Amino acid sequence: MTAPVPAPSPEAPHLRSLFLLCFKVGILSFGGGLSGWLYREFVLRKRWIDEEDFSSSLAISQMLPGANVVNLVICMGEQLRGPVGALTCVLGFLVGPFFAVVGLCQLFDALSGYPLLPVISDGVAFAAMGLLIIMCIHGVRRAMRFPPSVVTIAVTAVLVGVFRLPLIPVVCVIAPVSVALAWRRI
Amino acid sequence: MRFDTLVAIALVFIPFSLTSIGGGGAIVAGIQHETVSVHAWVNSREFLDLFAVSRAAPGPGMMLATVIGWRVAGWLGALVATLALFVPSSVLCYSVFKLTNNHRDKKWHRAMREGLAPVGIGLIIAGVLSLFRLADGGIVAILIAGLSCAILFWAPRFPVLAVLALGGLTAVLASSLDTWLSTL
Repeated sequence: MTAPVPAPSPEAPHLRSLFLLCFKVGILSFGGGLSGWLYREFVLRKRWIDEEDFSSSLAISQMLPGANVVNLVICMGEQLRGPVGALTCVLGFLVGPFFAVVGLCQLFDALSGYPLLPVISDGVAFAAMGLLIIMCIHGVRRAMRFPPSVVTIAVTAVLVGVFRLPLIPVVCVIAPVSVALAWRRI
Repeated sequence: MRFDTLVAIALVFIPFSLTSIGGGGAIVAGIQHETVSVHAWVNSREFLDLFAVSRAAPGPGMMLATVIGWRVAGWLGALVATLALFVPSSVLCYSVFKLTNNHRDKKWHRAMREGLAPVGIGLIIAGVLSLFRLADGGIVAILIAGLSCAILFWAPRFPVLAVLALGGLTAVLASSLDTWLSTL
């Protein structure tokens, strides 16, 4: 492939505005639903990215390892300003949460004498498990269209979650099989 | 030795970076195993606390690595863990995006997309199972997780932070109810 590095067109956003936008989404991003937020900012409000480019970037971000939103801002940055844009977006996105999460941890430690703290922390963790379960429900629903996908989900979950086999070798075996099955079907 | 610890942190998180299909939820089980059972950097209680903190803070759930790194080796540990978890997957995503974006209608690209998705979902379920085992919260855990799940299922726009706060509140109520019942 000899596609040139996309030169910033006259209307391509400044690196600074990319950084600030990603910083804003990053620091205000509690829980999920972030892809929807990025869609609103990049596609609807700023009109930097068109709809089809956004959804194909989203598909790639979701299938590859890594946090979906981080992958998504990398794709956005690359499309808008090339490698430097991708780096700017990912740095802008992560720098806020990095300090916020450590700050929250320090706050947690400062309150550690408080007897209800472990109870509250458990409750928050349980609620957060609910968020993960939501993702599972949506994923299983989507997989229903193709029964072998449901088997893939079940086998992965049982091997890692019940038999507690190490995650990485399990993925290295199951992922190629699953992709091969999808290949035969389509 | 401190340098050894930083190297160990990097070696633990780099492989997880490349197996976190579907995001941070997919590697909770693996991170728990490595940091609690294998390296004993944190105990089960601390792991659960850090999980809760990482979910209550802004940013992707993968920031769990950041707080574990911070707990084990301070700011440098946090930085190393964050880079170890985000750099490999980011480089991979960047390269794949650049190389394949023009091929997204091809059959192999679809097969890859559709084949990897269920693996990610299976890993998230495994993560939930191992968190439940770790928390050992019994009926309260199931109740709160079910409640937060139900709220966000029927009201997807409900603020996540409020759901988490509600979880903490319910746990406090359940524990005071428990204390009250045992005094009867």
